[in-house]
Amino acid sequence: MLLERLSTFLGIIFNLVSDPASVAILFGSVMLGILFGAMPGLTSTLGVALLTALTYSMDTQLAMVCLLAIYVGGTYGGSYASILINIPGTAAAAATALDGYPLACKGEGGRAIGLTTTASAIGTTISMFFIVAISPIISEFALEFTSFEFFLLAFFGILISGTLTSPDLVIKGWISGFLGLFLACVGRDQLQFYPRFTFGIPELESGIEVVPVLIGAFGIPQIIEVLKDKFQIGKAQKLQRIIPEIGTVVRNVPAIGRSAMIGVGIGAVPGIGEDIAGWVSYGTAKNTSKHPETFGKGELKGVLASETANNACVGGAMIPLLNLGIPGSPPAAMLLGALMLHGVTPGPMITFEHPTFITEVAAILLLASCAMWVTGMILAKQVVKVLRIPTQIFMPIIGVLCIIGSYSLGLNIYNLYLMLPVGIICYFLTAMGYPIAPLVIGVILGPMADENVRRALMVSQGSFMPVFQRPVSLILFTIICLTIISQFGWYKRLMGKVKKRLLDVFRRQKSSTH
Amino acid sequence: MLEKDTLRKADIFSGTLIFLFGLFVVTQALKMPMKDTYGGVQNVWYVSPAIFPLFIGAIISLLGGTLTVIALTSVGKKELAAVFGYLAGPDLIAFLRRPETIRFYAIVLIFCSFIFVMVPRIDFFLAAVLFLMVFISMFYLDDDRLLKKILIFFIVISILLLLFFTTKFDALISPAISYPGDWLTLMIIVTFVVYSRRLLKNRMDLRRKYRTCLILAIVAPFTVGIIFKFLLLVPMPFEGAVVELLDAIWYYDY
Repeated sequence: MLLERLSTFLGIIFNLVSDPASVAILFGSVMLGILFGAMPGLTSTLGVALLTALTYSMDTQLAMVCLLAIYVGGTYGGSYASILINIPGTAAAAATALDGYPLACKGEGGRAIGLTTTASAIGTTISMFFIVAISPIISEFALEFTSFEFFLLAFFGILISGTLTSPDLVIKGWISGFLGLFLACVGRDQLQFYPRFTFGIPELESGIEVVPVLIGAFGIPQIIEVLKDKFQIGKAQKLQRIIPEIGTVVRNVPAIGRSAMIGVGIGAVPGIGEDIAGWVSYGTAKNTSKHPETFGKGELKGVLASETANNACVGGAMIPLLNLGIPGSPPAAMLLGALMLHGVTPGPMITFEHPTFITEVAAILLLASCAMWVTGMILAKQVVKVLRIPTQIFMPIIGVLCIIGSYSLGLNIYNLYLMLPVGIICYFLTAMGYPIAPLVIGVILGPMADENVRRALMVSQGSFMPVFQRPVSLILFTIICLTIISQFGWYKRLMGKVKKRLLDVFRRQKSSTH
Repeated sequence: MLEKDTLRKADIFSGTLIFLFGLFVVTQALKMPMKDTYGGVQNVWYVSPAIFPLFIGAIISLLGGTLTVIALTSVGKKELAAVFGYLAGPDLIAFLRRPETIRFYAIVLIFCSFIFVMVPRIDFFLAAVLFLMVFISMFYLDDDRLLKKILIFFIVISILLLLFFTTKFDALISPAISYPGDWLTLMIIVTFVVYSRRLLKNRMDLRRKYRTCLILAIVAPFTVGIIFKFLLLVPMPFEGAVVELLDAIWYYDY
């Protein structure tokens, strides 16, 4: 079994490497991803969204090469702006700026970029191993899921994503998620074909197209924000020769392993992006360091921790996406939309419907990380030049790409009429502290939640008792309740008291043993 | 994102809006078949299409209401009165006239005009050239006075184009001139070039930037459009004079 999978894996790699078109697309997409990541104002999510339109006519494997390569490249590319101008190219690279920029100021920008390149490649590769190792287990486990579990899982995804991504009050994250679920209700329902919230508009009967909504939600607010606030890119620090920093990497193998695990773990939580992985990993590296005072002053371990984790998050995000149909991060949500366009429905059945698909994704991730490393090492100095392009020039062009991209998926002008209002609403929501990721997750998981809750109730003849009779549903239900309760003031106070008492008991025991 | 104090004040309104929106979802869901017959099938409540929207609407209402209460508690009565005072006073007018707000109007207006007026009726290449020419000039020249002037020009031409199409004037003259909308757009582009050159007559510092705007506004749509139209075989939203010309060149049998 293992040998068979290994031979499939190597076969896919060989097929892709021996095809010049695939190699060209791989390197081209990685390069484009790095450019999207490096330019402050553009994100890897937007890159994946815009490239989805271009991959529409490609076959699924080539489309995945394109999209995964831009995702990996975009996550890594954010570090360029973080290191050289102290402005994260993407939110994922925000933690990198803390130590990357001081390094660049000391004249070690080349060293820092070399290290981020190697760390990102290692992070992606480690996460690839997790996809291969964990996917069959999750997939097999998910096959036992019934409709109640799928409904609760979707509900949990929205709640947890809302809880962890909200920059202000947690309740705003939940509102955002439920607004996404509402958008998913628009159109004819899947069981009885009854038109819901269509208001007599025939174009709404088939429901809201996911990809234009995603392009609008991520593209338009970005354009408005950058141009409205006259966002200016600062002067970049000088970049020296790029050094791969293999020695530093070898000396920090345990730290790399820990960062990669954090990245994969956070990536696997629905809707949580690479930015959180970067911060958590950076924080852990600082807390466990013997010299935490060096962090923030140009510590290579800080750069290593955040960059390994944010790229490991890419693979982590693919685990729930492929096995449960639940995206682990906003770019993964975009990938889900793209996969659906190509007729691949991720979920527990993927191993039956497309037996080699997960192995294919793993192989592509490995190739993408290699391509990213090569491109980063050779072309970093050239890529850095894009930081000189004013945002006022490329943002309007991104606007045209958003428009033609939304239109080309389905050749429907109505997609544009949908994309713009969604984008403007998302701009206001972002300005008022509502996160967009839960909204997107809601739009994607809405049909799954709706269909499954009704199917489950049909089977149980309207009874909710199976939720408490099935172990997985009970666990999910308990986690959901705890997630909600944990936001109440009385619960926080209670937990504070419990924590204090436990610490007191622990201290007393410690002093009595001494 | 807004400052925390401002955010709480905004939350009162956003929370209320969300609460009302949730109620709207619930009322709409209540109009859906619950237990009655639909399509010859006798319904039971748990298969009703209303179940999920009811659940969503109720939760949205609950969350919106909770947010409003949290915001009201945080803001307090005195501050709340100040918020309403702000909304009724001249400060709001001053806010609406701030350069950042005007830039916001400009972005939204240009997108609305491009998507709702131009893309469905004008050759995509021409529409995109006009869109980019105006959009890049507005922001790259980095001068709020120029931005206002270009915005007014753009509003005028958008109204002109809208009237041209909604009054069916294009259909009237199309037997005499093919693609009348495209020709009108071409004339608008030329007018914009002349107008902006006049605006920049005494601004030598901005001339170079303006040339960059023009070059990009022409090169970008043709690069993107050609990739989509001829390499990915995606038909343009509206194919007019330029697409016909490009078709003739691309598919010419040499």
